[in-house]
Amino acid sequence: MDRNIKISIRNLYKIFGPDPVGALEHVRGGVGKAELLEKHNHVLGLKDINVDVHEGEITVIMGLSGSGKSTLIRHLNRLIEPTAGEVEVDGENVLQFNEDQLRKLRRERMSMVFQKFALLPHKTVLENAGMALLVRGFAVEEFEADAKKWLARVGLEGNEYQYPHQLSGGMQQRVGIARALASNSPIMLMDEAFSALDPLIRSDMQDLLLELQDELQKTVVFITHDLDESLKLADHLVILKDGHIVQQGEPQEILMYPNDPYITDFISDINRARVLRVRSVMNKTTEEPEVCAGDISDRDNLESVIARSDGDTNLTYRVVRSGKQVGILDMKELVKALVPTEASEGDARSRY
Amino acid sequence: MATYDFLFSSLGLEDWCAEGQSDGPMSMADLLQKTQGTSNEPDSLWDTPFPSMDALNESCAAFPKSRELTKGLEEGFLSIKDSLSVVLDPLTQPLSWALDGTLHGMLNTPWWIVIPVLLAVVFFVTKSWKLVAFVAVSLCLLAFIDYYRYAMETLAIIFVCAFLCVLFGVPIGIAMSRSDMMQRLTVPVLDMLQTLPPFVYLIPLIFLFSVTESKLYGIAIILYAIVPVIRLTNLGIRLVDKDVIEAADAFGMTSNQKLFKVQIPLALPNIMAGVNQTIMMSLAMVVIASLVSAPGLGVLVLQGIRNLELGVGLVAGLGIVILAVILDRVTKASLARINASQNQ
Repeated sequence: MDRNIKISIRNLYKIFGPDPVGALEHVRGGVGKAELLEKHNHVLGLKDINVDVHEGEITVIMGLSGSGKSTLIRHLNRLIEPTAGEVEVDGENVLQFNEDQLRKLRRERMSMVFQKFALLPHKTVLENAGMALLVRGFAVEEFEADAKKWLARVGLEGNEYQYPHQLSGGMQQRVGIARALASNSPIMLMDEAFSALDPLIRSDMQDLLLELQDELQKTVVFITHDLDESLKLADHLVILKDGHIVQQGEPQEILMYPNDPYITDFISDINRARVLRVRSVMNKTTEEPEVCAGDISDRDNLESVIARSDGDTNLTYRVVRSGKQVGILDMKELVKALVPTEASEGDARSRY
Repeated sequence: MATYDFLFSSLGLEDWCAEGQSDGPMSMADLLQKTQGTSNEPDSLWDTPFPSMDALNESCAAFPKSRELTKGLEEGFLSIKDSLSVVLDPLTQPLSWALDGTLHGMLNTPWWIVIPVLLAVVFFVTKSWKLVAFVAVSLCLLAFIDYYRYAMETLAIIFVCAFLCVLFGVPIGIAMSRSDMMQRLTVPVLDMLQTLPPFVYLIPLIFLFSVTESKLYGIAIILYAIVPVIRLTNLGIRLVDKDVIEAADAFGMTSNQKLFKVQIPLALPNIMAGVNQTIMMSLAMVVIASLVSAPGLGVLVLQGIRNLELGVGLVAGLGIVILAVILDRVTKASLARINASQNQ
């Protein structure tokens, strides 16, 4: 990886119950989640989590409800204390921070966007957007310009003096995002930020996030239970199940080579033509194809290539990245890639 | 011989019992029994008395009678009363000053200043001309039938007591909301204050303070009326949306910032509901407190009962109803205004 590691999670465990440290021994000894609950009456929240979050990337943590993803993100700013393990931000162990250092971290280096928006209902949109600055002790007049700038950036110009309850859900979440951006922190934690929104608005918000990310290059940790959303946003995808990591890596990689029946099952229902990109199915070569039907970008998704070829499977395209050829794409290969990895799928179906 | 003789004889306590034998004063019931010559011995199992203190005393003279319990309590209270007064008197003296000062101030300011000021306050908290008109008509009606002075006395007492209830009640409620231990300790006390019959407050207070002092009824009213504001402050803060609190934490608010910028503003509708209840309960108590020299409309009600002056009692009662309606509507309207500004 060419980017710095911004947040590093090492061997993180979280166990809920009256004696988590005692229960930790059982977990380390190989006791599973169901058995721990039944025999020892403790809930296994997270088990041996190791994740590196790279600077300027969107790291998506995906899992179904109960998989521990919301618990995990709350460890990053210590809204929840871990049972064991380390969380390092810029090389500093957050778990050793005292109250002042922790507050400084939350105020200046991390901001958070919530599933239920969590805006202050008695403050105006403007004051909500400037909440991080308000907390640091600035007066409204001092941060007004800044807050207005970010509100305009997320498309809320003219709503500054309204109250949150006067806005729709999508607009409220825009305030939530503006609030996180206005804090000017390099890290943004997004806890199911778009899950409460309806599909059209969710898609809009995803586009907004990608657009902002192109411009600002924040380090984003994004939690979701929606596979399509995670594939759209992720630079690095972490799949969580029952408190442990099933697979992590580049999303295209996971799509092409799922290493667990759970994931195979998961990805069998998605629209592969839309999420797979040319670079994942092309043949890496700098040799010119014999008959070239034209140039396509390695970032194009397969859907757009199919549309371009008009369904003709006899074509071959040259794949270029920033003007240079990086590979060729045979339409037959493309069509094959649309079929989910069959062997493992049969495997998965027989297991579940 | 009495029913439970066997108990003491089997325990070998006859000697101890005999020590307590005396021909001293007997109760009225004993005297009656003696003159009528009836025995205490029950005729059948059906009439067996419960082994109460009195029943046991009949079998063993050294065993205390239940009357001695209440008497002991009384003597105990009287013996600590003086030292208690030394502490409580100076502590509560400001309450007397506040009550006397407010009463003096409201009664000696001419009506053409007091009524407009009250109306201005009503407009300030409710922003409703309709309500201002209603209050104006009500006050003028009371003044027209020459009940102005009594009504103002009652209002003055309520203002002082309700203000002090809020002053002490809100911090107590906040403390309760922040610590479960504090809540566990406070709730039984609040339950007791709320269920004790209002007259019972007056009994120990009469012993502690002189009836001529205004703090006597002030304390009675405050103890009675402070409960709802404490309870609802606690409840309101505990009910603040957990997600908003989490957001406040995530943005690095200190606990003071959280309290003043998030929790109290969001709990305000509940706190105001508590204030409304507190004011209404002060009004209820101020009538009862006229038994211990609280001035106001309650005195007229009492006069109506004592002298059987039906008309005076009824009109005073009506005056109290009018005051209650005014106070309730005004506080509810201001509550509605707060709610409107932050419904979610």
